Amino acid sequence: MRSGDSTTIDVPESKKDVPESSAIAKGKAPLVAVVVKQRGGWKRGVAIFDFLLRIGAIVAALAAASIMGTSQETLPFFTQFFQFQASYDDLPTFQFFVIAMAIVSGYLVLSLPFSIVSIVRPQAVGPRILLLIFDTVALTLNTSAAAAAAAIVYLAHNGNSNTNWLAICQQFGDFCQEVSGAVVAAFVSVVVFMFLILLSALAIRKP
Amino acid sequence: MKADAIELGVGKSSPKRGGLNRGVSILDFIIRIVAIPGTIGSAIAMATTNETLPFVTRFVRFRAEYNDLPMFTFFVVANSIVSAYLLLSLPLSIFHILRSSAERSRILFIFLDTAMLGLLTAGASAAASIVYLAHKGNAKANWLAICQQFNSFCERTSGSLIGSFLGVVAFILLILLSAVALSRR
Repeated sequence: MRSGDSTTIDVPESKKDVPESSAIAKGKAPLVAVVVKQRGGWKRGVAIFDFLLRIGAIVAALAAASIMGTSQETLPFFTQFFQFQASYDDLPTFQFFVIAMAIVSGYLVLSLPFSIVSIVRPQAVGPRILLLIFDTVALTLNTSAAAAAAAIVYLAHNGNSNTNWLAICQQFGDFCQEVSGAVVAAFVSVVVFMFLILLSALAIRKP
Repeated sequence: MKADAIELGVGKSSPKRGGLNRGVSILDFIIRIVAIPGTIGSAIAMATTNETLPFVTRFVRFRAEYNDLPMFTFFVVANSIVSAYLLLSLPLSIFHILRSSAERSRILFIFLDTAMLGLLTAGASAAASIVYLAHKGNAKANWLAICQQFNSFCERTSGSLIGSFLGVVAFILLILLSAVALSRR
């Protein structure tokens, strides 16, 4: 480094894709530019992993919504007290579950372009912050739907002797299995969301 | 011009950005303090509610407590864990106010806040679905609405959900603030 009023470093490869500014056109580039370009690699890897996780979350959320939405069982007999058909819209909690998981899958599909933008431009902070904010809201909705449905499924499996709520799974075995599978898929989606938020946080920081 | 090129690289930690980060950290601390009584109040309100009916019928038990329903037990446990976490995270939040450029601890904050958000939302939603069931019942599954017998028990449990959901909103804001502070270091 020369003692003087400027630092001159010859960086020939940065002249190709650096915008025309007076300092760089003269062949003098600040030291910071070289460091930032070398460290962009891991952010791109994080963005690609984020994109793949997002696709996995779409699969899980769609599976949860569709399995719950198509769950239906009709018993071949009927008794005096129980209705002989069980469907997801008999329970308002399951209706909320289907709607919430559909909203979450729709959001995930719409967030794919932002994820692609952060792959193409690893240094851009804006799309990542946007994704982090909306991922947090979607995580809350997802967890809320999954936990509420899990409470009802637990009740359906075990019943509750204190409130005299009978375990309906003993009659509707297939319905219970489908509904439990949907709840498990929703919780898988919750875990994936937590990873997505962590990845966005790791990629936001300035190295 | 030559001096400008150097200052571009150095100007990231100018006083303005440091001031904004400090404001964000102070807001983070305040939200944490506000969320603590919400979650603690919810846990206590749910755990201390019980109602004994003055009569006995053949089908319904005459005493209702929070641990009659495992979802309410989970609610109390989740709220207690979250309020303990909020109390323990106050010193780290004060550290962020004093030292606005701490990066790794903010990432730790985001990670732990996300986990606590999931736990709190799960507890609050499970309890909310059971409270809804207790209010309305379900004709198809032959589940009776127990709120018609246990009025004050139902009111107390419904009210304790409010503090928990306010805690959920607080955690969303905390995650947002940590992310904003991380990106503006």
